Amino acid sequence: MTSDTDWHTITIRIPFASAKHAEIALQAIQVDPELQPHAVKRTLSVEDDVLIATFDTLTVRLARLTVNAFLENVDLVVRTLQEFGPAAAQHIHV
Amino acid sequence: MPFPNRASSSLNSIIHPTDLPAPMPGRLRQTPLKNPDRPYLAIGLEGSANKFGAGVIKHLEDGSTSVLSNVRHTYITPPGEGFQPRDTALHHREWALKVINECLDKANVSMHDVDCICFTKGPGMGAPLQSVALIARTLSLLFNKPLIGVNHCVGHIEMGRDVTGAQNPVVLYVSGGNTQVIAYSRQCYRIFGETLDIAVGNCLDRFARVIDLSNDPAPGYNIEQEAKKGKRLLPLPYATKGMDVSFSGILTAVEAYTFDKRFRKDGQPKDANDQDIITPADLCFSLQETIYAMLVEITERAMAHIGSKEILIVGGVGCNERLQEMMRIMAEEREGKVFAMDERFCIDNGIMIAQAGLLSFRMGFETPLAKSTTTQRFRTDEVHVSWRA
Repeated sequence: MTSDTDWHTITIRIPFASAKHAEIALQAIQVDPELQPHAVKRTLSVEDDVLIATFDTLTVRLARLTVNAFLENVDLVVRTLQEFGPAAAQHIHV
Repeated sequence: MPFPNRASSSLNSIIHPTDLPAPMPGRLRQTPLKNPDRPYLAIGLEGSANKFGAGVIKHLEDGSTSVLSNVRHTYITPPGEGFQPRDTALHHREWALKVINECLDKANVSMHDVDCICFTKGPGMGAPLQSVALIARTLSLLFNKPLIGVNHCVGHIEMGRDVTGAQNPVVLYVSGGNTQVIAYSRQCYRIFGETLDIAVGNCLDRFARVIDLSNDPAPGYNIEQEAKKGKRLLPLPYATKGMDVSFSGILTAVEAYTFDKRFRKDGQPKDANDQDIITPADLCFSLQETIYAMLVEITERAMAHIGSKEILIVGGVGCNERLQEMMRIMAEEREGKVFAMDERFCIDNGIMIAQAGLLSFRMGFETPLAKSTTTQRFRTDEVHVSWRA
């Protein structure tokens, strides 16, 4: 994405219980922009039930911080889905 | 004539009595808010500071409201320490789901039953706000419910109006992060006066740290208890500036007394001759008396400006009984009335977010997912109060 070879790229693939959950995670996390958009480029996408996140960062330190924050957000979303997913699904079948 | 956001610095030149439509008690206007055609339910999630709260509110066809549940969990730090944004966010992330489940259980409703999910958009600490918004978004997507972003201060005001029944009060909003004197005018909660530096609750909390008071249940509560034992009113700066107030200099001054050679940390005289002493209780007492007198002064001036005889105290410091008492004395002299609440509704809670959110939802307001970000700065007067006349 850039000719500058100093950029660091990290790709994370996170499997979810369903494609719907992966899509929810993407949409919920996508809303908050990266705090340093000039130094961190984030691309989120969903393939079946897998959330794919790609980060391009200017420094290694930013790579660590960004991925750490992203995983914490994923953790929170996953726990919320785990807690309320069954209740949300139940109603649809009624 | 366009209204300036703040009138405090140049009151005389800007505010003319004819400009102010402040409805007097008795002069009722048509409210734009129609009674609902069916009961409405909203869940509110709040986590802008060190409390995570969730609550479910119900609006009934006759226009009344009922609180179905109001659950809160507070992040309490050891004595001498404040709460840091990251640790506070971790607390909310750990407790949020438990608190939300408990609040739904107590209300005996399912997430499917609510009409909207309300969350605090701001103002507050960035990381805790963002964590709560992320949960709100996930729930909104999971249950396909509309999201409502709520201004924290407006939440306090609306809950205060609902609980106390105050019609058109001067609002004193005093908490750990905010100190404002507010009055309603033309669908806007206008800020008449505010702190120029730190909030009143921040001043109290930080002084509690200086004298190693416990943060459990709240530093302000422990200062209030300590102040009851105080015997000596020590001189402190009195810093009202027109309609505004300043607390940071007072904090420095009261802190300086702890280095005074008369200061006894244990509150006890060294011996029988040791009479001229300053105790932590004296400092708590002096601090409270000084800063509350300042708040009463600017509130009284705001009352005179808008011609209201009602005072509503909201925010965490609002459950301080000494502040309520001092305000009551002032109000009685002006034949006014003070509306105050206890800790359930004064201290940050989820139900107030649900209340303010449901009011705007009933007026057709909704926060699209893409706009559901949070913001640390979100002034009270930025909100269009569409539900009031």
